[in-house]
Parts: sequence; C-alpha cells; structure tokens
Amino acid sequence: MGVPAFFRWLSRKYPSIIVNCVEEKAKECNGVKVPIDTSKPNPNEVEFDNLYLDMNGIIHPCTHPEDKRLLYMAIDGVAPRAKMNQQRSRRFRASKEGMEAAEEKQKIRQEILAKGGILPPEEVKERFDSNCITPGTEFMDNLAKCLRYYIADRLNSDPGWKNLTVILSDASAPGEGEHKIMDYIRRQRGLPREKQGKHDQFADSLPMAEQEFIFIRLCVLREYLERELTMASLPFTFDFERSVDDWVFMCFFVGNDFLPHLPSLEIREGAIDRLVNIYKNVVHKTGGYLTESGFVNLQRVQMIMLAVGEVEDSIFKKRKDDDDNFKRRQKEKRKRMKRDQPSFIPGGQFSPQALGNRSSPQAISNPRQAAFEMRMHDRQNSTTSSSPNTSLTSDGSPSLTGGIKRKAEDSDSEPEPEDNIRLWETGWKQRYYKNKFDVDASDEKFRRKVVQSYGCASWNWYYPFHYAPFASDFEGIADMPSDFEKGSKPFKPLEQLMGVFPAASGNFLPPTWRKLMTDPESSIIDFYPEDFAIDLNGKKYAWQGVALLPFVDERRLRAALEEVYPDLTPEESRRNSLGGDVLFVGKHHPLCDFIVEQYKTKNTEPVDIPPELCYGIQGKLTLNENAVLPDQTVESPVPMLRDLAQNSAVSISFKDPQFDEDFVFKAIVLPGAKKPAPVLKPGDWEKNNNDGRPWRPQLGFNRDRKPVHLDQSAFRTLSHTMPRERGMPGMYANAVPLGTYGNPYARPLLSGQQQIPKLLSSKLVLLSFTLHCVSSLHRTAGAAPLLAWNRMLQSQNQYQPSQYQGLGGPMSYPQRPEDRMDRGRQSPPLL
Amino acid sequence: ARRGGAGAAAEPLGRTAEEVAWAEALRGACEPEHHWRHRREFLLRNVGAPPAAGSAELQRLVSLSMVWANHVFLGCRYPPQVMEKALEMADGIQVTGAPVRTTRDELKWSPHQT
Repeated sequence: MGVPAFFRWLSRKYPSIIVNCVEEKAKECNGVKVPIDTSKPNPNEVEFDNLYLDMNGIIHPCTHPEDKRLLYMAIDGVAPRAKMNQQRSRRFRASKEGMEAAEEKQKIRQEILAKGGILPPEEVKERFDSNCITPGTEFMDNLAKCLRYYIADRLNSDPGWKNLTVILSDASAPGEGEHKIMDYIRRQRGLPREKQGKHDQFADSLPMAEQEFIFIRLCVLREYLERELTMASLPFTFDFERSVDDWVFMCFFVGNDFLPHLPSLEIREGAIDRLVNIYKNVVHKTGGYLTESGFVNLQRVQMIMLAVGEVEDSIFKKRKDDDDNFKRRQKEKRKRMKRDQPSFIPGGQFSPQALGNRSSPQAISNPRQAAFEMRMHDRQNSTTSSSPNTSLTSDGSPSLTGGIKRKAEDSDSEPEPEDNIRLWETGWKQRYYKNKFDVDASDEKFRRKVVQSYGCASWNWYYPFHYAPFASDFEGIADMPSDFEKGSKPFKPLEQLMGVFPAASGNFLPPTWRKLMTDPESSIIDFYPEDFAIDLNGKKYAWQGVALLPFVDERRLRAALEEVYPDLTPEESRRNSLGGDVLFVGKHHPLCDFIVEQYKTKNTEPVDIPPELCYGIQGKLTLNENAVLPDQTVESPVPMLRDLAQNSAVSISFKDPQFDEDFVFKAIVLPGAKKPAPVLKPGDWEKNNNDGRPWRPQLGFNRDRKPVHLDQSAFRTLSHTMPRERGMPGMYANAVPLGTYGNPYARPLLSGQQQIPKLLSSKLVLLSFTLHCVSSLHRTAGAAPLLAWNRMLQSQNQYQPSQYQGLGGPMSYPQRPEDRMDRGRQSPPLL
Repeated sequence: ARRGGAGAAAEPLGRTAEEVAWAEALRGACEPEHHWRHRREFLLRNVGAPPAAGSAELQRLVSLSMVWANHVFLGCRYPPQVMEKALEMADGIQVTGAPVRTTRDELKWSPHQT
C-alpha cells in the first residue's frame, strides 16, 4: 500500500516496531574497495531465513550466514485494473510536469543568454521520461536482464550466496511486488508439510533518507494489536488472528491504491482508531468478525460504515475547526515573525539573568504552573488586540463567534483555495454529489450504484468514479454479490501501457499502436486528452487534487488493438507476454544438479521440485528460454560490466503451487509455528517483579544484545574533562592534554610526572565513571575543582588565578554548580 | 439525414423506437442520467441508419461522442483537429448546468501555485 500518512501514524502509535538497520558499509582502503563479507553474521543480530524484497525500494545485499534459504525479489508487474487508474493519473501528470520543466528550462536559458550570461552548451539528449518505469517498456526489459545478470554474478562470486535459492519475479509477471510476495507465501503455506516450525520472522524494511534503512518488526506490531484488539466478555470465543485480519481490512478504508478513500476517514484525524472502537462495539453486537480468510461479511461491514456515517457530520465540523485554528496560529506566527521580537519575554521567576553575576539564580518553584500562567496571560493579550471578533471562553482561550468572516488585516495571508463542498455546513451531501458526480443527492439509485461499485474485485474490476461515497451511504450493501470474478485475466504489458500512458509517452509503444493515441481518426482518441481538469478538492496545490481523466473502456481498447496486434515484431510480442517467476541457484546448491539434468534431457514438461532439495519450497519447474546455464557465458546487458565467462549458476522457470479456483487460503497460524519472544513491557510487570527490577526495553532484535559500551580511547578522553574528586584522580589526570583545546601555553615539561597507570579492566572503569557522575550531582557550590595537571601547572607557573580557571577548552568559563550538574547529566551512566 | 428535434436534452422527438434502443445500448454502466441524455442526443444527431455493431464507423462515432462528453462534463481538452470535429458534430445541442472545471494548464498560472 502506498498510503501517505499511514506509516507516520503507525510508527507514532506503536513506536517499538521500529528498529534502525545497522548496515555494514563498503570500505575503501587506499582507493581499493573492500567487498563486504556477506557470510558474516548479520550486524543487526538477527538472522533471516527468508528475505522478500519488493523492489520499490532498492536492491540490498542480503546479509546471511550459512543457513540462508531464500531470496525472493519482486518487481511490480502489470497491475489489476483498479490500480491502473491511479497509475494513469500519475503518468498523465508526470508527463505534463516533465514538459513544463523542459519549457521552463528553455525559457530561463534564453533569459540568461539574452542578458549576456554564459551557459554550458546545451546537451541535446533525450529527456528521461520517468514513465518508462512501467511494465512492458524496453527499459523494464533491460532492467530484468540486469537483474538476471546481477543474480548470476552474485551466485558465482559471493560466498554469502552459496546455498541461497533466488526467485525473481520481474515486471513480466503480473501483480504488484508486495502482492506477488504475499501470494508466494500464501501458496507455500497452503500446502501440507511434514516439517513445521520454520522460523519466518517477518520484518518489513523501508528506505529512509540518505539510504538508511529501518526495520519494522511485525511481531511487535502483533503484540501491540493484541493488547488493543483483545475484547472481553464476547458471546463467542475471541480469536486474535481473526481480529488482526479485520484490522488490516479496516485499514484499507482509510486509503489504498485502488479506491479513493471515504471523505470522512482521514488517517491523521485518527480514523483507524475510530474504526477500531466502532469495530469493537459491532463485533460485540453481531457476534462475528468482518472477514474470514479473505471473504468479507458485508452485513457487518455495513454496520460499521453506518456507525461512521452517524458521526460524519461532527467529523467534518471538527475538521473545519481544527483547520481554522491551525490557520489562525499560522497567521499569528507570521505576525510575530514580522515584528522581529519574541511574542513575550518571560517575567517573574523566568526572567533572564545576565551572565557574569556572582550570585546564582534560584531554582524555579512550581515551574509548570508558572509557565502555564504566563502563556495564558500573554495569549489573551495578543489575540484580543488582533481581532475584535473573538470572545474568551471560561478557561481564557479565545473562540470565534460563529460565522463572522475574518477581515484580511494581514496583507500576507494567502487566498483560501475554493471549497465548493464545505463539508462542515449543512447540505454537504447534496453539494458533494452535485459537484463531484454531477447528480442530485436524492438520486438514490445512482448512489447505490456508487456504493456497489466500491466493493468487489477481480483483475478487471475498477471503481468507475473519481470520488468515494460517504460512509452513511453504505446501506444495503449486504445484498450485493461479493464474488471475486473468477477466470478474470490481467491486461498484457503492452495493453496496459495503452491504458496508462498519455500520448506524449507514446514512444514506448510500437508505431501502429502509438498512432491510436494521436491520430484524429483513431477510434479511441477520447482516451488521450491533451489537457484535463484538476479538482483541487479544497487543497492548495495541483498535485494534491484529483485528476479528472476519463476511464478507459476495456472492451473498446481491446477492439481497437485487434487491428494492430499483427504488427508486433517478435521482440515486441515477447515483451508483451505475461511471464512468470524465475528461480536461480548456484553450483553448491542441492537443487543445482537436478535442474541441470532437466536441461540435459530437454524435458519440456513441468516437473515438481523435490522438496528435500530446496528446504521445503514447492512448485513446478519448466525450462526457460533465456536461461542462465553452467559453462555458458552470461552476457552483460550494459557496456560498463563485463560478461560472466565462468558461470556456474543455473536458472529455470518457476511456478507457484496451483490450487483450485475455489480453494480458500485459510488465514490461520500454522501448527507448530513458533512465536518470537515478546518484546513489549508486560502490563503487569510491576506487580510480578517484587524485587523492584526495572524493565529493560529491548532495542533491536536481540534481547541479550551487548549493551552500549565505550572503549579505552573514549575513557581517556572523558577522564581529561570530567571533574574528579580530590584525591581520586582520573587515570590520566597527571598527563597534560595535547594542544587540541587551543591551549595557548606550550606543553610544559613536567618533572616527576607520574607513570601512566595500567589500564583497568573496562568494567571497573565503567563503574568508577558512573560513581563520578553520581557524585558530581551532589557537588556543592564552590570553587571549580582543578584537574591534577591543572593544579600542577598552576603551582609551577604561578600565574594569577582569574575567574577563568582553565587554560582553554571546556573548563574556561565560570564554574557554576548547575553547569557541573549539567555535564554530569549529559553523560549519563551507561548501564 | 437529421430529424428535427429540440436542442435541450428532452425526449428524442422524431426517433423511432428502434433507433432509441440502439442508442441505449451504448450507455455507459455508470453514466449519470443527464450526461447520458446529452450524449445520446449527440449520437442520434449524427447517424442516418445506425451503423453496424463493431464497424469502424460506429467506433468512430462513439469515440467522438466521448470526446465531446468528456469535454463538457469532465473538462478535458483534445488536440485541435479532434475538438473541432466533435464540436461541429454537437452543433445545436444545448447543455445547461454543466460543471465548471479548471484544467491543469489553466491552474498552472493561478495564484494558488507556488
């Protein structure tokens, strides 16, 4: 799911699911790149048996030990029809943006040249049309070739890949990356197994900025959800697995790639939480769950939707209020910025004190109360002066008297984007349907049709409107047929391109196909407008709005293509075929010989994978036309890389286990599955741990992970700067620090300098360091303590001690007790 | 030959039941009522005898009717030649209450954009 805001909501609500990914970076030594040893243990202290990569992210070298099993790489293939509309919208927009950028660039170039500026010569190169990243293009074909090459290369040369089974599902295999992965998993699970207890710890990994990755621990998410969804006193046995499935289902309502989401359900307004609460009520009343192994109980869904519908009114009003408050605060902030002074200066206890005073300020008494009072006092002052329309409510916070429009007093306030719907005013439903669907809200039949279209799925299904209905419209959906249309087939890659590309990206298509997009006589010319409307929908920027593109009529598209199908070259036909997965293994893999044998005997029939050769992975193998074969050179698809002349890897087509059309993949925990140890703090920890042991949170994947520790050089550094009790010098207290602190005094020769004591074991040092921190917190006011070397220098040089005790560096400011305490606090005891 | 008929989206006067039935078969599954009535008008105004199913002529007609409907109701704009043809064929059809849309190109120059 590519839902914005979902990840932010999820990671804020359940923070412990995030673990930063420790990645061993490639090192460079004297200009030579040192390859990463992938056979070493995973630096995250967890080993994954199986790694599923959805390549929306990036190709990531796996870090597995000897016992690695499977690497499954999936690239998005042809999407279901429903997703195509979203893709179409994106590509039409991207195309226009690209053209505008090029025009803009030209304009600026001309301007600069006209003014006599100098520019680098214009490179006449083909503008990279990002739309080429769509299944079916030559680009994606080349990408697949590169991936095959990469895999073969790794299998041949990387010890970490020795026993790895690699499955690549490239763009020719239909379905989105993550769906293909889930499908694979589901099908493997659906089979009877002798050996259970496979430890599949699932973590999703996301790329963050600057190529840092994080892990999302799904097992921890499960723990969170278990607490949240557990319901007591139900008329039936509570089954956590079922309620998790329901939770996932409900998340779809707040946003997914196939449907515009319901206007009343916004993630950032806590829509998911709202749904969960309603859900808990409904389950109670109806005595059952919303979903079962992928099938939806419409009756119960309807109850939830109608419950949301009842509060839709207040949702919209609150949204408007929040919006207004936000805007108001923004305005005030801008005003404050313009004035170039703080909005208030702390007074009373918080008054700033000039530095350099001998006397030290007193501790603040009752700080929170004092701060609150100050804020309230000043807020009242500033808002009453800026707007005569506000009145103060009882707790002193201003409120708007309803309905009076604010005058545009601040000239820099931006014009409000037009909102014709105004969901917070009565009559919103009428305006919505009139404006978005161009029908009367009283047209019951039409509204029902909208709702009916909102459900149901197949490769060909799509939601034929640009906007979602309201939750309160979900009446009578229980009577809808909810069969997934069986036997439905996806579009072929080139067909899909015709369905998602604007005319400007037609160069990715064969010439006669391209003509259908531009020829005025084309029978499908209406699919390709040059310009289209954007409904800002109350938003500010074009990219946030809804693109009102016509939907592609599948029947008419196919009819038009019938005539030009014969024009495809063999190469184009190949690109147009729906491919499948390819399985790769290296020569050490138990399955290797078996596969090679198939090629030798030229067996054209699909053959089952012998389960004992492949860690229980099941499926059928068929000879692949473009196979990677042992002792055959693997050609490099790009000029920069050399051909693999000594290849010993092998590839073969792989097909998932097939099931009947009616087969139901049960959404249950497999027998013998081991749950990972719980991570979250148990709710009853205090009760059950009478020895007062504090809870130690688990950071990362390993509970017994070695805690953070410093090594010797760090201790030496600290010892120089940490104030020490008299008579308890640090190890190097007698050694003068090097001139790194800007020491204006040359390093004096100290006679009789003590020998540097032997290094203590790290644990003892740690302990003594801790004691110092603790003791420094209790230090009373007084003269700054001097380090041993400092003292020695003073006595030697006999300079006048001034206010500034130190010789530069961190000691050269008046020592106030608070400072020392701060420093102590800044370096907390490391346990 | 065109039969006389009111410009507004009223009942198609002067059409045979056969012709109306033929047109009805071309309605989109989710096309709102008054969108359809106008487009039906477009279709009926531009046929003599209803073209054969699956014929190039029919495909062309349907396509142009969609061009026009998309333009009027969705705000789409097509290449000049195409627009010209569609508007020519729609000559005389009056549409009231069509939604006012801003196209993307028009939006680009509005003060809302940064």
